[in-house]
Amino acid sequence: MSRVLAVDDEPAILRLLGVVLARDGHQLVTAGTARDALAALGAGPGAIEAVLLDLGLPDRDGLELLTMIRAQTTVPVIVLSARSEVTEKVAALDLGAADYVTKPFDGDELLARLRVALRGSGTTAPRGGVLVHGPIRLDAARHEVFIADRPVSLTPREFAVLEVLVAAGGRILTHAALLETVWGKAHRDDVEYLRVVIRALRLKLEDDPGQPRLIRNEPGIGYRLC
Amino acid sequence: MTRTFGSSLLALGAVGVVTAVSVGLLPVLGLASAALLFLLPVLLGAARGGLWPGLVATLAGASAYNFFLLEPRYSFRVHQLDSLVSVAVLGVVAAVTSRLATRLMAREAEANARAAASEEAARLSALLAAGPADEALGAGLAFVAARYAPVYLLDGALPAGSDAGFSSLDLSAAAWALHNGDRTGHGTETMAAADWSFIPLALRSRSDQAVLALARPSDGHPRSPAELDQLQQLALLLGACRDRASLEQVRRDRERLEQSEQLRRTFLASLAHDFRTPLTVITGQLAQLAQRDPAAADALVAAGQLERTMADLLGLARIEDGSLVVASESLDVIDSVGAACDAVALPAGITLQRAVPTDLPFVRGDPVMLHHALANLVDNAMRHAHTTVRVSAAGTAERVEIVVEDDGSGIPAADRAEVFDRFRRLAGSDRTAGSGLGLAIVKGFTEAMGGDVSIGESPLGGARFALGLPGVPEPVG
Repeated sequence: MSRVLAVDDEPAILRLLGVVLARDGHQLVTAGTARDALAALGAGPGAIEAVLLDLGLPDRDGLELLTMIRAQTTVPVIVLSARSEVTEKVAALDLGAADYVTKPFDGDELLARLRVALRGSGTTAPRGGVLVHGPIRLDAARHEVFIADRPVSLTPREFAVLEVLVAAGGRILTHAALLETVWGKAHRDDVEYLRVVIRALRLKLEDDPGQPRLIRNEPGIGYRLC
Repeated sequence: MTRTFGSSLLALGAVGVVTAVSVGLLPVLGLASAALLFLLPVLLGAARGGLWPGLVATLAGASAYNFFLLEPRYSFRVHQLDSLVSVAVLGVVAAVTSRLATRLMAREAEANARAAASEEAARLSALLAAGPADEALGAGLAFVAARYAPVYLLDGALPAGSDAGFSSLDLSAAAWALHNGDRTGHGTETMAAADWSFIPLALRSRSDQAVLALARPSDGHPRSPAELDQLQQLALLLGACRDRASLEQVRRDRERLEQSEQLRRTFLASLAHDFRTPLTVITGQLAQLAQRDPAAADALVAAGQLERTMADLLGLARIEDGSLVVASESLDVIDSVGAACDAVALPAGITLQRAVPTDLPFVRGDPVMLHHALANLVDNAMRHAHTTVRVSAAGTAERVEIVVEDDGSGIPAADRAEVFDRFRRLAGSDRTAGSGLGLAIVKGFTEAMGGDVSIGESPLGGARFALGLPGVPEPVG
């Protein structure tokens, strides 16, 4: 359904991605180097709809290439890397990656993440409009939230955090990014603020707040809506 | 001695010349001016030879003045009182002048010696400041050896006696100097009979004292206190240079260590990378095949096991080489338990129960390590359970305990202490596909976070693992 650019210097990984992506009908464009990747992206607007990026490229650091892609286009980038350090993942997400998948990956999970990334790109709701994610309906203008059509009363902080999560449409948001957006730059590291609000949100939104299904955490990285 | 004698002779000669001149010119000069002329030999003698030639010139001059010039001439008798006074004044003036001249000379000599000593210290300083400290120290020792006597640096430890020809007295003196930071041996007050002088490189007792050993001067004269003082100054300069050399050594050692640490970290990271890339291809392609061929599903499970073992090995390597960097942040156990349960595949026929209260205090720990530890506990429980695995948590703001238990056959009390050992797999656990590393990681990571892990019996019938972590006091904000 979409043209996806995979950037990896391992031909076997590129072949595997071809097989996996074909299950969802995506068409794979491959690049073995950063230079080829930039060339493929520069081919024309709309040609590539998502990028799967390996960080260990022969000619350039993957994070550097990510920055260059971000400067050039808004196409969603999913980092697909054998590096599993949390700091690396957070760095990639903070540099504008839509998601991060560690090798070895599960094909179904990769496709699910890709669907989320593709949905998120170019479909940002108008400011003040109504945002919908699964059972959550959030009316920013009226400051109202409904869960499965049942109204929920939220504090301003809870509302702000939920609004950012819903607007991300299932993409993961790093702890620092959430804190910076809702509390401001000075509170980037105050993870505890976020934990308190997330727990309160779960109590109001989840069927079983002790086993949350809607708001999920990735250890050390951040939160996403499922 | 020779200088005093020579100067005295010269002064006597000068007295003779002045006597001849003043006798010849007495009618023109008058007695008073002639008396003044006799001060010249005194000045000459005192200036060249110091006090004694000055006094010789004074006595000779006063006698000659009296004998040749005062009435009655050619006799030492004195008729008039004023003549006696002039002889006395001449004597006193001459004596005072010669004393002053002598003192001046002594000062000049002292100043010259000081200048020479300072110049020597400055040259040594310059030598020691140039280039790497250990090379400069060698050059400094050579400098001292060239100017004084053969020299050794005794750095912290005594040499074998025969090496430098030290006698047993020398060795005792050296040991005293090393231990107490005093000057000892030849020329000093401590064990002066030794052949060598031992001069400490620092003026206080310190554990890493070093001592300069200097042979007795080759010309046989005893080493003077002034020379020892000067050598002490030079030794202090050498000491400062030696300190610099050892600091440089410490810095070099640390840099080498950091480099090897860096190398090991890079190696571990690239090892993980080199494993994961082929594993990605293997598991990915097997997952495709497994949709049609059940045999491929077995291979897929095995490949997954391989990946987990690799992750455990890398985790263990980090615990063991002490390169773990532990984050400490506020964590919600609901998040940690949720992510850990999601990370482990639920085998067919096993039910996973979760019971984390929603008013549980947050805990303090490293999110990634806690995730890894909990996932290993859940994975372990899944592999041993018959039908049920339960994950629960309870606690206070001081301590929160996360419990993972199963209804398997449990662990006999006698074996419990060894469960956390590496590669430990208990008898009868063949069907479980663990690496034998999982629980060692649980213990290593938990303890690195300041927590503890214990094992007991579950009411479900199997094993009960309890992971305790410090709680976080009630948050504000």
